[in-house]
Amino acid sequence: MIEFGKLNWRLIGIWVLLSAAGLTAIYSATRGPVSEFLPGFIVNNFNRQLVWVGASALMIIIVQFISPRTFQGAAYIFYGFGVVLMILTLFAGVEINGSKSWIRVGPVNVQAGLLTLPATILAVSNYLTRKRNITSEDIRTALTALAFFLVPVLLLLLQNETGLALVFLLLIPVMLFWSGLPSGITLLIISPGIIGYFSILDWRLGLTSAILIAGITFVLQRRMWISLSALVLGLVIIGGLEFAFQQVLQPHQIARIQSFANPSLDPQGSGWNILQAKTAIGSGGLTGKGFMEGTQTQLRFLPEQWTDFIYCVVAEEFGFLGAGGLILLFTLLFITLLNMVGSHKNPFAQLVMVGFTFLLFIQFIINIGSATSLIPIIGIPLPFISYGGAAFLINSLMIAVCLNFDLYKRSFSIYS
Amino acid sequence: MSPTQRSGQLQKRSTRVLKTIVILGFVILLFRLIQLQILNFDTYAPLSMKNSLRMEVVPASRGIIMDRNQKILVENTPVYAITVTPSLFDEEKIPLLAQLSGFPEEEIETRLRAARSYSWHRTSILFQEVSFDIFSSIEENIWRLPGIGNQIGSRRNYPGEVLAPHIFGYLREASPEDLKQNKELQMGDQVGRSGLELTYQQELRGDKGARYIRVNAFGASLGEFPVEDLDRDPVRGSHLITTLDAELQQLGETLMEGKTGAIVAMDPTNGEILSLVSAPQFDPEKLSSTTDPEYWQQVNADSLTPLFNRAISSRQPPGSTFKPFMGLFGMDLNLITPRTEIVSTGPYIRGRAYGDTAEPGVYDLEKALAKSSNYYFFWMMERIATRGHLNRWSAKMKDFGMGEKTGIDLPFERSGIMPDSTWMNQTFGERKWGVGDLMSLGIGQGMVSVSPLQMVVAASVIANGGYVVKPHIVKEVIYPDQSRTSVAVERRRVEWLRESDLQVVREGMRRVVTEGGGRFYVNMQDVAVAGKTGTAQNPHGRDHGWFISFAPAEDPKIVVAVLLENSGFGSISAAPVASLMIEQYLKGTIERTRVLDYVMNFDVVEIEARRAEREREAEEARTQQEAGEAQGTQGTQEARETQEVQGEIR
Repeated sequence: MIEFGKLNWRLIGIWVLLSAAGLTAIYSATRGPVSEFLPGFIVNNFNRQLVWVGASALMIIIVQFISPRTFQGAAYIFYGFGVVLMILTLFAGVEINGSKSWIRVGPVNVQAGLLTLPATILAVSNYLTRKRNITSEDIRTALTALAFFLVPVLLLLLQNETGLALVFLLLIPVMLFWSGLPSGITLLIISPGIIGYFSILDWRLGLTSAILIAGITFVLQRRMWISLSALVLGLVIIGGLEFAFQQVLQPHQIARIQSFANPSLDPQGSGWNILQAKTAIGSGGLTGKGFMEGTQTQLRFLPEQWTDFIYCVVAEEFGFLGAGGLILLFTLLFITLLNMVGSHKNPFAQLVMVGFTFLLFIQFIINIGSATSLIPIIGIPLPFISYGGAAFLINSLMIAVCLNFDLYKRSFSIYS
Repeated sequence: MSPTQRSGQLQKRSTRVLKTIVILGFVILLFRLIQLQILNFDTYAPLSMKNSLRMEVVPASRGIIMDRNQKILVENTPVYAITVTPSLFDEEKIPLLAQLSGFPEEEIETRLRAARSYSWHRTSILFQEVSFDIFSSIEENIWRLPGIGNQIGSRRNYPGEVLAPHIFGYLREASPEDLKQNKELQMGDQVGRSGLELTYQQELRGDKGARYIRVNAFGASLGEFPVEDLDRDPVRGSHLITTLDAELQQLGETLMEGKTGAIVAMDPTNGEILSLVSAPQFDPEKLSSTTDPEYWQQVNADSLTPLFNRAISSRQPPGSTFKPFMGLFGMDLNLITPRTEIVSTGPYIRGRAYGDTAEPGVYDLEKALAKSSNYYFFWMMERIATRGHLNRWSAKMKDFGMGEKTGIDLPFERSGIMPDSTWMNQTFGERKWGVGDLMSLGIGQGMVSVSPLQMVVAASVIANGGYVVKPHIVKEVIYPDQSRTSVAVERRRVEWLRESDLQVVREGMRRVVTEGGGRFYVNMQDVAVAGKTGTAQNPHGRDHGWFISFAPAEDPKIVVAVLLENSGFGSISAAPVASLMIEQYLKGTIERTRVLDYVMNFDVVEIEARRAEREREAEEARTQQEAGEAQGTQGTQEARETQEVQGEIR
C-alpha cells in the first residue's frame, strides 16, 4: 500500500501548477480572439491537451504502484524498444513539419524520439551505475556510455530533429559528470558549445571564453594536457567559425545565424520572428496586457505560439510577474528534483533523476533562451507548457518515475 | 574514509554544481526578462502598438470641374482597386488570387514584380478598377491572402454630354518617373497627363488622408482602431469653375463630329473661353482606364491624331482672316488711309503674277475686306517689304497675339510663326530671300502660321477696342474650405491701335457678312455678326477653311474662330460652324435649322462636285447671254453663291 504521506507533494504541486499554466497559455494562444485566424484543428488543441493532462495525471498515479526496480530491470528493453521504433520511423514514419519523426501506432502518431529520451537515460544510468565511478583513466566506460547516447542522436539527426538531438548531446556531459567524470574534463566536453556560442557573437568573446575555460580546467584538474587541448579545441572552433563566415557561408546564411543577436540582419526571415517574439515579451511590461489581450498573440504576430513560442504568450499577457513566476516555478521544480537526488541513496535512481532533471532543464533553457533571443532560435517545446500531448505525457512520466523513486527510496536503496 | 563516504561527498559536491547551474540559468533568464520587460518596455510597447496598427491611405477625391453656370462637367465615380504589400505577400497564393480575380497568373506576376520594384514594404495597387464582384470575392477571402488589401478609389466621370477631352485632359497611372519626382504619389495613383487635369494638378489632387486600423500579422484588417487623433481625414481636391458654356461646348462638339479642325469661342472682354473644341476627339474615360490598352494604342496610332489639341497647338497659315490685321498695320504705317483706293486690274504683278479671285475694280479698305481682295493686300505687302518694314510688321502682328503663345491655362500650347528678318535668315539663309518670298505673307499665306486660339485673341483685339486679353478656362478655384480664388482677367491695350482705324476694320468685317463670303451662312436678321473668311493653302491636300468672327458687331459678346482642315473655302466650311456657335450663345437656341443641317451633313467632296457642275452651267448661261443679250441679271441665288465662292481668296 502506498503511504501517501511519503509522496513528495511539493513536486506534485509544482506539476499541477505548471500544467495549469500550460493550459492557460494554450487556451489564450488558440482560443482567444486569435482563433479567427487559426485553422480548426489548432483551435481544438486545447481540448486535446486537456485530455492528455488528465491521462498524464492518471498515469502518474498508476506509476506509483510499480516497483522502482522494474525501471532498472527493464531499462535496456525500453532502450532497445525505443531505438527499434526510431529505426522503423525512418522507414515508415509520417512526415510532419519537415521532420520524419512520427510513426503511426494504431490511432495515434507517436514521436519515437521522445520516448527514447527517458529510455536512454534509464539505460545509461543502469550501465554506468554498474560500472561505478568513471575516472579519466577509465575512459572506455565513458565511451560506451557515449555510444548509448549517440545511437538515438544519429537517428534523430536522420529524422531531421536537430533540436532534440542537441538536447541529447547536452545531456551527455551532465550524466557523465554525475557518474564521476572529472569536472575539468566535463568542462572540456561542453567547451565547444560555449566557445562556439560566444564566437558567433564576436570572435574576441570566443577567444576570451576559450582562454577562461583553459584556465578553469587547469585550476580544476592541474593537468596541462587537458587545459592545452581545451585551448586548442577552442582555437579550432573560433578559426573554423571565422573561416565559415568569411569563406563558406553566404551572407544570408550568416545573417540567419547571427540574427538572434541582431534581428535587423535578417528582417524578412528568422529576424522577423525574433523581433516579434521580443516585442511580445517586451511589451508585456510588469503586469502584462491581460489574459487573451496580448496584441502580438491575438493578432497572430507570433510564430508557433502554442508550441515553441508559448513563453511569449505568457510574457505578453501576464508580464514580468507571470513570466518571472514561471521561470521561478521551473527553477523550484529542478531544485526539488535535485534535492530528491541528494536524499536518495540508490545510485541508479540518483543518476536517472539527474538525467530527467537536466532533460527538462535543457529544454527549458533552450526554449526560453530562444524566445528571449539569448540564443539562436532552436525549435524545442517548453516542457509542460507547450502544446503537445505525447511530450506532456513523457515529461509527466519522468516526474512520475522520480516520485516513484522518492516514494520507495528506503526499500530501493537497501536492496540495491 | 570509506568509498561510500567519499562518493557521498562527491555526490554532495556534484549536486551543488548542478544546483548552481540551475540557479545560474534562472538568474540569466530573470535578468533577460528584466531587461526586456522592465528596462526596454518603452521600446517594445510602442513597437507592438505599431505592429498591430496599420496606416491605410485614404485617397482624396479629386476636385470636380464645372462650367460657368456651375453645371458639373467632370466628377468622380467609385472604383474598386486591389492592393498588394509585397513583403507580406506569399507567392504561393498567386493561383488562388488568379482564381478569385480572374486575371491570368502571368499578369499577376508581372504586376507583382512592378509593385516590388516600386517598394517592398509600401502598398501598391495591384489591380485598378476591378468589378464589384471581383472586389467582393477577394474581400471575402482576404484572410487567405496575406499582403492583399483593397482600396476604394475613384475614376473620372463625365456626367453630361460634354467630353471636351482637349480641355479637361485625361488621367493615367503615375509612371515610375512621376513617382520619383513626387514622393507623395503612390504607385497606381492617377495623375493628369494633359488639359486642366495637368495644369491644375495640384489643386485637383487634394491631400490623402490616413486611417489606422487594427491588423493581424497577415495584414488583414480587423476594423478601425479607436485612436481618432491618429486618423487624418483626406482633404478633397479643389473644385474648378470654368468659363465654359456647357451648351455651347456641347454644340461645338456635335458640329465637329466627323470633321478635323478646331473651334475656339471666347468672351472678348475678359478672355473667358466659352468653348474650345478640337476634332477628332478621344474618349477620356477609356483612355484613363487601365483595362483598355488597345484604345490607348489605337488613339496613338490614329493618323488624324486625336490626342493633338488643334485649338491651341495647330500651326496653319491664317489665310485671308489675316487681312483685317494687315489693314490695321497699313493704317498705322500711314501706307493707307481708310479712304485710300487701289485699282485692281486682276492678278497682282510683282516679278510674277499673284492671283486674285476678287473681281477687278476700285477697292478701299472696307471693300477690300468685304470682298477679300488679294490685290489690295499684295500692294500693301510689296511696300512693307520693299521699304524695310518686315520686322516692324512682324512685331506688330505679334502684338495681336498671332504667332505667340497666348498663355492659356492648358499645357502644350504652341506659338506659331510670324516671320521677321532673323527668322527668314535662319530659314532661307542670309540674303537668300527677297520681296518675292514675302508677298504671300500679306494675304496670310506662306510662312506665317497661327493657332485658332491665337486668331480668337487677335479677333478680340478688333472686337473689344484694342485689347489683348489672356484667354483662360478656369474662372474660379473653390478650395476645400469653401474659400474661392478668382482668376484675374489680364488684358493689355495695344498702344498703337487707333479706335477710328478699328472702326473701319469692324465695318469691313461686318460687310463680309452682309455682302461678302459670309452672307450665305452667317448673316442673321437679328444678330449683327462681323467676321472674315479665310482659306489656308495646304500643299498636302485640300485647303483648310478659316473663319474668325464676333457678334453682336456693335458690342461684341463672343468671338469665334473656326478652323476646318481639308474642307475647302472658309466661307462654306468654317463660317457656318462659327455662325451656329454665335447663334447658340447669343440666342440660346438654333433657329436656322437649314444651316445646322448643312453643317451636320457637310461633305466637301460633294459640294465641290456640285459647284463644278454649277460653274459649268453658269459658264454656258453666260456664253448664251453674251451671245444673245448685252447685260442681264444673274439667275438663281445659287449661281450667285457660286460666284462668291469663286471670289474667295486662295
